[in-house]
Amino acid sequence: MIEAFRVGAVSRGKTLWEGLDLALGDGEIWVVAGPPSCGKTVLMNILRGERRPDLGDVVVSGESVYKGSPEHNRRFRAASGVVPESLPGSAGRTVEDMFRLSALAAGEVPAAERKRRTEELLSLVGLPGAEEAGVSSLSASERARAALAVELFRSPRYLFLDMLLANAGKEWEDKLGALFRALAKEERTIIMMERQLPDRWQGGKGSPPVSAGPFSLSRVAAPATGPKGAPSVPPPPGGKEDRTGGRE
Amino acid sequence: MNIPSLWWIDWSLHGKSMRRETVGRFLLCFLAASYFLAMLLSGGVDRFLAGQYTITAILRIGVPDDEGGGIAGKVIAVAPVREALYRDPEQAWKEFLGAYPGLESLRSAGRIPLPGFVEIRLRPGWMSEEGIAQVRSALEPLPQVEKILSGGEIMPRLLRMKWWANVLLWSGFALVCVVFAVFLFLQEKARAARLLPDVSFLADRGVPGGLVATRRAAGAFVTGGLLALLAAGASCAALLFLAGRFSPVRVVVGSAQELQDARFALPAVLFLLFATMLQVLASLAGWRAAFPKGR
Repeated sequence: MIEAFRVGAVSRGKTLWEGLDLALGDGEIWVVAGPPSCGKTVLMNILRGERRPDLGDVVVSGESVYKGSPEHNRRFRAASGVVPESLPGSAGRTVEDMFRLSALAAGEVPAAERKRRTEELLSLVGLPGAEEAGVSSLSASERARAALAVELFRSPRYLFLDMLLANAGKEWEDKLGALFRALAKEERTIIMMERQLPDRWQGGKGSPPVSAGPFSLSRVAAPATGPKGAPSVPPPPGGKEDRTGGRE
Repeated sequence: MNIPSLWWIDWSLHGKSMRRETVGRFLLCFLAASYFLAMLLSGGVDRFLAGQYTITAILRIGVPDDEGGGIAGKVIAVAPVREALYRDPEQAWKEFLGAYPGLESLRSAGRIPLPGFVEIRLRPGWMSEEGIAQVRSALEPLPQVEKILSGGEIMPRLLRMKWWANVLLWSGFALVCVVFAVFLFLQEKARAARLLPDVSFLADRGVPGGLVATRRAAGAFVTGGLLALLAAGASCAALLFLAGRFSPVRVVVGSAQELQDARFALPAVLFLLFATMLQVLASLAGWRAAFPKGR
């Protein structure tokens, strides 16, 4: 569980927000919606242990990410995946290189298993056979989906997604919703930063949006009516789940 | 097989440039190894000078051949001596006539007017005033020896010049090592800078930069050791080939077979260790230069 207590952030001498309380439980999907430049990415970075909040604290599994041990912070990062709003497309870097990097972060993954999972995950996000494609040659939607697949490779327990739905495009909202629901069933926590909650995601079993500072926080139940049958997420490298995600 | 994958992060993510860099690295390491082996075998200019320089012990007229041969046998036991050959008066006369033709008339009634002599060559490592003095002190007490020719007053000057020539040659080796080190450092720094986004990616996912740096250094130890071993092996093979084919190489550098001598084992191991550690240090220094502390 990720909990934020009275969190506040200041940017360029201006208070973005303060007194924000959050509790993101295991197996939940949260959408933090807000207008441009309201500090969504800042909040995401604070929640994932990347940027110390100017006020308040973030606690994961009962220990502060910032005031606790560096090892706790490291293990939390190892258990987290992040898809940034824009994925830099380094010259000459292919999609497979990104998976190779993810495999390095995951630990020891045999090449054959890496290849198999890469194929499976790329198919899952609608990019079959894109291994050799240069990252810089992909469209914004393809990049966002490839970045998601790269993160899913490590089967992170916490998934932070910055503008993924907006980048992936409307036609992917339902498919990704079904995928996230499948992930949530496996007790993974998904935190999404978006301009707005997709229309089809509103209502249902989720809780009504709550206003917090400039944000609208919604715990959503992704639509049940996705593509035929919920997508199944390939098992993590090594075949067994790493609940801490930590590299020993 | 559980391969420590972070050891090979450079190969895994920048395989193409790593292959290119390794070729350059191998060539420089080969150059350094060849230089070092050549210096080790030749002792700089020592081998060449030892091949040219002789100490001549002129025997008294009338010393029998068996005694002359005995002196040569005794003097070869002296540490600095590589070769000692006795020339009887007949051979001495022939050599004299070869050098000064037309003086046959000096030989009257079959008597040879020249004495026999012992020609002594030193080992390359003993081309020094101390080595010459040792040979002289072994010869001087012998009653059969009339005179010892060992270069006279010019020798100290010649040996000083030899010392400076060797210093110059070893400085050349040091320069090759410095160029090698700078080359390695620049390669490593550039590659570490190219790894920046990858390192940020890994750090974001709980793999600390320090861990990546130390694992890369461990990988550099393995690949650097292999590279040094291969380069040294290739330079041995090249030396063997060149010395077998070209006699000037044999005269100046010596034969590569001599490298099997046990006295070369320690310097060879030290060179391999030095070349390996240079690559490990370059990996760490390149990393530190690309990612200064606190970044």
